[in-house]
Amino acid sequence: MSGIETVKIIVEAEKEAAKILEDAQTKASEIRKRLDLLIQDQREETLRSAEKETAVILQRAEEEGKLESASYEKESGERIRQLVSKASTKKNAAVDKLVSIVLEG
Amino acid sequence: MSETSKFTEDILTAAKEKAQNIVTDAETETQRALEEAKTHLSREADDIIRNARTEAESVKRRQMSEVRHRLKLQEQQEKSKILSEVLERTKKRIIEIADDEGKYFPYLVGFVESGIRELGIENVLIHFNANDLKRIDKGKLEREVTKKLGKPVKIEWAKEPLETSGGVIISSNDGKTRIVNTLDQRFEALESKLLIEAGKSLFGD
Repeated sequence: MSGIETVKIIVEAEKEAAKILEDAQTKASEIRKRLDLLIQDQREETLRSAEKETAVILQRAEEEGKLESASYEKESGERIRQLVSKASTKKNAAVDKLVSIVLEG
Repeated sequence: MSETSKFTEDILTAAKEKAQNIVTDAETETQRALEEAKTHLSREADDIIRNARTEAESVKRRQMSEVRHRLKLQEQQEKSKILSEVLERTKKRIIEIADDEGKYFPYLVGFVESGIRELGIENVLIHFNANDLKRIDKGKLEREVTKKLGKPVKIEWAKEPLETSGGVIISSNDGKTRIVNTLDQRFEALESKLLIEAGKSLFGD
């Protein structure tokens, strides 16, 4: 093999090596680019899932709130009815007392 | 293998190793960045859910607070209705008593007596409404008042009737000092006390 042929072979090998490295850089760039997409997908999925859970939590709170309010309203409504009924039986005595305050001081 | 072949193979092997390292580094870096992003996203999601739970509690509290407020108003309205009714009935009862001379007379004596005591004078002018001016036995009233006061008092009767449902105004003869003991005035002056007492009687245990 002549000297020129040897140099040619080495130059070809260097070119091939450079191509290998260039391909590796391209692949690395693609991997990094894919990362952005992956993170974006992950973010969308996580947020979608959180929003879904949020909606469930709020819906449940709304329903529980309604139930608790309704129960409280029922109890309080009954208490007010009893208060009114009890007071109604005391009206005459109250009138007597007030009349006596006005007329007797 | 010739020297040249070995040399070129070394070049290629070195390039392949370096290429592998470049790709491996990118993958490692990507994996780490992804994990970091996941951790960050997970915290973000936790924050969203924690806020939702806080909001949920506040939704429940708001609902309950609205109902409480509405019921409190309803209770106050009911109480106020009953109190107004009792005050109205009291007024009516007082008018009925004032219409019944037999029941009314002792109270009238009391009004005049307390008025004279408050004025602290012996010559007074008494003002009645038109009805009382006509029907009340003034001599009897004077005797009863004198008896209650335990000392003589000179009473004159104003001719101009009062616009009131009952009771009296006791004044000095010159009209400069007077005690208003009409039913309307007594009711008005005592209204806050009446409300308190009615509240205790009706809603106290």
